[in-house]
Amino acid sequence: MLTLGDIRKRFGATTAVDGLSLQVSAGEVFGLLGPNGAGKSTSLAIATGLLAADSGSVDLLGLGSPTNASVRSHLGLAPQEITLYAELTARENLLFFARLYGVANARRRVEELLAIVELESRANDRIGTFSGGMKRRLNLAAALVHDPKVLLLDEPTAGVDPQSRNRILELVRTLARAGKTIVYTTHYMEEAAKICDRVGIVDHGRMLDVGTVAQLVTRHGGHSAVTVSRGDQDERVLTADPVAEVTRQFAVGGVTGVRVESPDLEAVFLALTGRSLRE
Amino acid sequence: MNAVLTLAQKDLRLLFRDKGDVFFTFIFPMLLAILFGFIFGGGGGTSAIDLALVNESSSSLAKGIAGDLTRDSSFAVTTFATREEATASVRAGKVVAAVILPSTMQDGLDGLFGGSGIPIEAVIDPSHRAEAGLIQGKLHELAFRQFPRMFTDGAQMSKLFAGARKTIAGADGLTPAQRLAATGFVAAGELFTTSIDRSSVKSDTPATAAAESDAESASSAGAWSPVAVTVAELPPRTGGPRSSFDLSFPQGLVWGLAGCIGAFAGSVVVERSRGTLARLRLAPITQAHLLAGKGLACFLSALLVEVLLISMAVVAFGSSIAQPFMLLVAFVLSAFAFSGLAMLVAGLCRTEAEANGAGRGGVLLLAMIGGGTIPLFFMPPFLRTMSYASPFRWVVQAVEGPFWRDTPLGEQILPLVVLAGIGVLGFGVGVRSIRSTLGR
Repeated sequence: MLTLGDIRKRFGATTAVDGLSLQVSAGEVFGLLGPNGAGKSTSLAIATGLLAADSGSVDLLGLGSPTNASVRSHLGLAPQEITLYAELTARENLLFFARLYGVANARRRVEELLAIVELESRANDRIGTFSGGMKRRLNLAAALVHDPKVLLLDEPTAGVDPQSRNRILELVRTLARAGKTIVYTTHYMEEAAKICDRVGIVDHGRMLDVGTVAQLVTRHGGHSAVTVSRGDQDERVLTADPVAEVTRQFAVGGVTGVRVESPDLEAVFLALTGRSLRE
Repeated sequence: MNAVLTLAQKDLRLLFRDKGDVFFTFIFPMLLAILFGFIFGGGGGTSAIDLALVNESSSSLAKGIAGDLTRDSSFAVTTFATREEATASVRAGKVVAAVILPSTMQDGLDGLFGGSGIPIEAVIDPSHRAEAGLIQGKLHELAFRQFPRMFTDGAQMSKLFAGARKTIAGADGLTPAQRLAATGFVAAGELFTTSIDRSSVKSDTPATAAAESDAESASSAGAWSPVAVTVAELPPRTGGPRSSFDLSFPQGLVWGLAGCIGAFAGSVVVERSRGTLARLRLAPITQAHLLAGKGLACFLSALLVEVLLISMAVVAFGSSIAQPFMLLVAFVLSAFAFSGLAMLVAGLCRTEAEANGAGRGGVLLLAMIGGGTIPLFFMPPFLRTMSYASPFRWVVQAVEGPFWRDTPLGEQILPLVVLAGIGVLGFGVGVRSIRSTLGR
C-alpha cells in the first residue's frame, strides 16, 4: 500500500532521515514511534511527496511516487500543525478543501465530516475561537475530506486534553475498521500500543526495528521484573518466565506480596537507543 | 480553472475577514484621498471661497456690486479683465467660480420692470456644486443691496424715473390701464424719493440690513426677482485637474495598491510559515494553480480598490473620466503590476516578520516617493526624478492620463508598458522564488 525504500534526507550537515525503509499494508495502522527530532515528520513529508528525498523510493498503492498529483490524491495528511484558516469557519474550511479536491457533492461530504468529528454545533464558528482539541479534530476532518485510501497522521493528539485525545483515538480506530491504511506518528508509547497493529521505532532518522508491540517487547524488552515482599524485605528478580519465578518464590515460603512488571515499549526504546523516549 | 477560482475566492474571503487588511486596502486610501482633496483646496470648512470677478459694465450698479463682493469676507476675490481669463482660472482649479457683471448691466429700472432683472453671470467648477448655492445667494443679496443706494441718490433717481417714463410711453404691449398704473407707480416713486431726507443717510449699514431682508423675501417669493443670476457649470475641460480630488484620488490609489501588496504578500508568507501552503500542495493541483489563485485574488482586489476609489471621486466629488476605456486598461495593467509585486515581495520574504517589516516598509517608501503623499508635480525636481524608480509613480501617471488629463493615446503607452513590465518581472522573479521554497 505504502512503501518507503532506503530513504535518505539531509538538511545541511544534519541527517534527518538515514536509510529508512517501511512497508505498510492495506487496512493496517502503522505507528512510527520516536522522540521529537527522530525524523518521523520528515519521513511523512517524503511519503506525501511534499519533500523530495535525497535518495530512495516511495510508492503509493503500486501507482508510483506521490509527487504525481493523481497518485497523491489517494493520500490524506493531518500535519502536526493546525493547517487550517483561523479566519474561516469550520464549514468554510472543509468546503474549501473539498472543492480543491474536486469532491462531488462537497456540501454533503462536509456535513458528514462535521458529524464524524462532532463539530456540527460549531460549524459556523471561526476556528480561531476553537479549543486545541476541536482544532485537532477539524485538522483530521480536513485530511478525510476526499475520502483517501491512505491517511498520514502526524502527532494528531499533540497538546490536546485527555477527552479530545480519546475522541481522536476512537476516530482512528473507526477509520481503521472502515479499511483505511493509517500511518500514525507519535511519541506517546501508550497511544502506539493502543491503536497500532505494528510499530516502527525510529531514532536519528533510522528505523531501528518494526513489529507488533508483542514482537518488539519479546525481542528487545528484556526480562520481566518480579518483586517479592517478605515482611519489610523486598526482593527484585529479573526473569524471562515470571510465572515460573512466582511459583518458585511461593514454594520458598514467607511471601507477603508479589508485583510483576512486564516490559513495554519504553523498555524496547531504551534497549534499542540507550535512552528514554521522553528524554 | 475551478481550483484557481476556489483558491482566489478563499483568499478574497480571508482578506475581507481581516479588519486590518480591509482598513489599509479600502478605507484608509479613501480617507486619505478625501483628506488630501480638502487639504489641496477641495473647499469645505469656513475659509473664504476663491472667486474670479470680471466687471464688463461701466454702470455704478456694477461698481457697487463689485465693491461689495470684494469686501465680503465670505470670498477671496481676484479681478480679471476678461471673462476668458476668469474662466481659465476656474478651469485650472485656482478659483471656485467666476462672477461676471455683464455689459448689459445698466443703471436704470428698465430691466427691473421689463421682467429681465439685473443680469449677473457665474461660471462654476462642477466639483464645487456645494458652494454654488452659497455664491448664488450672495449675488442676489449684493444686487439687492444696491437698491437703497439708488433710491437715495437724487440725481441718479431723477435720471432713472425719466428713463422709466420714456420706456412706459414707448411700450407697445401695455394696455391703457397698465400704462396708467405704471405711470402712477413711477410718479409715486419719484414723489417718495424726493421726500427722503438724504442727510439722515450716513451709512449704508441699515439700508444693507433692509436690503438683505428684502433679498430674503424676494427670494422666498420665488416667482419674480429683480435680479437674474445665471449660473453655468464649466464644461469638461482638458489638460488640468477639475479639482484637487482629481489629484487626491489617484494618490489614494497608491495606498490602496500598497495595501493589496501588504495583504497578499503577507498571506503567502503566513500560509508558508503556518503550514497551510503544505496542505494546499498536497491537493491534486499544480504549483501553477496555487500561484494563479493567489495572483488572481490580488489582481481582483487591486482592481476593486481602483474602481471603488475612482467611482467615489466621480460620484461624490464631481470628477469626470476623460477616457473611460483607457482608464479601464490602466486599471487592469496596474492591478497586474501590483499582483506581480505582491508575488515578488512574497517570494523575497521568508518570514512573517520580514513581510511585515522589510516588505511593508519598502512598499511604503516606494509609495511615498511615487506620489502617495505629495502629488508628483508638487515634488522638487530631484524627488520627481527619483519617483521614476517607484512603480506607484507609473500607476499615478497611467491613471491620471485617461482620468482627468485627457492625455493623447501616444503619451499613455509608456506608463502602461512600464506597468506591464513590472507585472511580468514581479511575477517572474516572485513565482520563481516562491517555487524554490515550495521544493516541488
